Amino acid sequence: MKKLLTLILALAMVLSLAACGGKKEEAKPAEGDAQASSEPTKMTLILRGGTYGDVIKAALPAFEAEHNVKCEVLDLSFDDLHTKIALNAPNPQGEYDLCMVDGSWMAEFTANNVLANLSDMGYSFDDDIIPATTDICMVDGDIYLAPYFGNVTVMLYNKQLIADAGYAPEDIDTFADLMDIAQKTNAAGKKGFLIRGGSGDNIVSDFIPHLLAYGGWVVDENNQPTVNTPEFKAAFQNYINLYKLGDTMDKDDIVAAIDNGDAALAQGWPGWYVPTADSNANYTVIPTKLDDNDTPKNTSMYGVWTIGVCENSPNKELALELLKYLMDPEVQLASIDGGGVPCRYSCLLNADVLAKYPHLETVCSALETGVYRPVIEEWAEFTNILGMEMDAVIQGTKDMDKGLADAQSALEALLA
Amino acid sequence: MKQAALKVKRTREPHLGERAFPRLMLAPTLVVMAILTAYPLVFTFVYSFTDYQYLKGAENASFVALKNYADLIQNVYFRQAVWNTVKFTLLAVFFEMVIGLLIAVFINSLRRGQKVMRTLLLLPYLLPAVTVALSWRMMLSSNYGIVNQVLESLHLPVYNWFMDTKTAFGTILLIDVWQNVPFVFLLLYASLQSVSESQYEAARIDGAGVIQQFWYVTIPNIKNGLALCALLRTIDTFRLFEKVNILTGGGPAGTTSTITQYLYNYGIRNLKFGFGSAGAIVMTLLVLILASAYIKRAIK
Repeated sequence: MKKLLTLILALAMVLSLAACGGKKEEAKPAEGDAQASSEPTKMTLILRGGTYGDVIKAALPAFEAEHNVKCEVLDLSFDDLHTKIALNAPNPQGEYDLCMVDGSWMAEFTANNVLANLSDMGYSFDDDIIPATTDICMVDGDIYLAPYFGNVTVMLYNKQLIADAGYAPEDIDTFADLMDIAQKTNAAGKKGFLIRGGSGDNIVSDFIPHLLAYGGWVVDENNQPTVNTPEFKAAFQNYINLYKLGDTMDKDDIVAAIDNGDAALAQGWPGWYVPTADSNANYTVIPTKLDDNDTPKNTSMYGVWTIGVCENSPNKELALELLKYLMDPEVQLASIDGGGVPCRYSCLLNADVLAKYPHLETVCSALETGVYRPVIEEWAEFTNILGMEMDAVIQGTKDMDKGLADAQSALEALLA
Repeated sequence: MKQAALKVKRTREPHLGERAFPRLMLAPTLVVMAILTAYPLVFTFVYSFTDYQYLKGAENASFVALKNYADLIQNVYFRQAVWNTVKFTLLAVFFEMVIGLLIAVFINSLRRGQKVMRTLLLLPYLLPAVTVALSWRMMLSSNYGIVNQVLESLHLPVYNWFMDTKTAFGTILLIDVWQNVPFVFLLLYASLQSVSESQYEAARIDGAGVIQQFWYVTIPNIKNGLALCALLRTIDTFRLFEKVNILTGGGPAGTTSTITQYLYNYGIRNLKFGFGSAGAIVMTLLVLILASAYIKRAIK
């Protein structure tokens, strides 16, 4: 009897374990049915945490009420956002409807069918959107993404410290000026120039405007690496010289140091900080020349946060509706008070907006002339390798020739 | 006659039900083990010989033999990550064991307030690693961190704790030790509770001092607890990830990179699961080597 009971118990345990793996498929109502019923349709948005996602969240209630939907929002870090979107992609029916995508992931995502073709779904850009910001959103003329948050590298400065160095913001138009301000600030016992540390992507992105000013680039026209060139070395040396007059920090510390007057200059992104007329810090465009005798170049790098519809979204049509709503000029205009940076002329050059947020004029010019990171599938790995070698050189554990030669050979192997 | 009957009884072949019974009892555990441990391990092992990239799909993965392992071993940053991990594990386990043991002995010797002290000391261990990392990041911020502010007010030098090659490794080590000392304390405190007071009395009658009592009575009585604790902390520390990922991302210049951080950066983040699997297998082997002494002892 005891054995029989034990046998039954053991079988029950095995069966219960097997049952754990089973999942009862719930009948999913069709999109139209859900709309018709009183139950709101659940949509899932996967967004970049911080201001980028916050401005979208602030705009959602009106859409939810109008379309009888309930939006669940996932706020994620840069890396987690990329990983989660990618992990969700191969599933026949995905978990996410609308996703936020960094421009540098575009090649990888479109090559692997992660994003829905918005042109096929009937979406097109209007003339108000800054044309240069839409380049990264299209492949072979088809639209896959919409430029939502106009992130482009700008120069963050402390008003008092640059005034102490004898400069007005509009006077900072060469890299020689940056060095001069950094030296004077450093001599006064403060940090002259801050560079961004952390991940490979942070380091490479922070350096790229310097490289552009020196006429270099990270790949050639065939997308082969060019990180061991005289231009790269000269730009990197200048970058290290500036670092020696300051420090390396993460994003939060950079913003705090500039705002509280511990440091004079750093490159940043509009989403980091919202200056006002009486704030301690502000933005200006990154200088376009090395010195007064140099010819101007495009030195602002795009980091536009775009929005798209997941190819395997359970509510594709609704997701497109949401995308159109978020790209609406009125909705975008309203996002500015929450720290949003639309890629629209009507918003960035609006007189009322400029009276309150004058830095947006700077952002608008930077958005018109920015440079995209290379559109290659391996970009994330590329920045890992290059950033690691650059960090070793910056920290003095490798000399520049060795570090850049190692980076060049590792990148050649990657892109072979 | 009775003895002969007993002998016959002892040597009788167990019938089918008796043989099946222990196997049935083991079955649920074996099923769970097979699903949750063996299956992923076998797949990780198989994928480690392929160039499986998640977005391309497993069906498009090609067999690359030992290429992933060769790439790992040849990579200077992987070797640096292995060295960092071993160094970090040895130092962290050593400090956690020493400090945890001293605290356990001290609390065990208290006549009053043991329960309060025990609860207070456990608090750091109850916090999730991510919360710990974020709290320390704020406290050690080079701009608004309380630590640098205190140092400045005392006219002492301040540091950029997580971005300086001289301080980053030590700072993460300190945070890890701070969080995990309570675990060591708790395990050793439990072991100390089982040491009989009569042994100390006998030692005192024999003229043993405090250090001699500690060395000849306390340590031999808790040596099993010490071994288990060291093993658990070694395995756990070897997998260190969250704190490094949040606080330094493996930098500056790879000085805080650990094996898990390296695998995340170069395998998981890039969705190169074939390469990541090879790294996971190497890590499993290293942990097995470290744990082999204890496993051998447990099997015996």
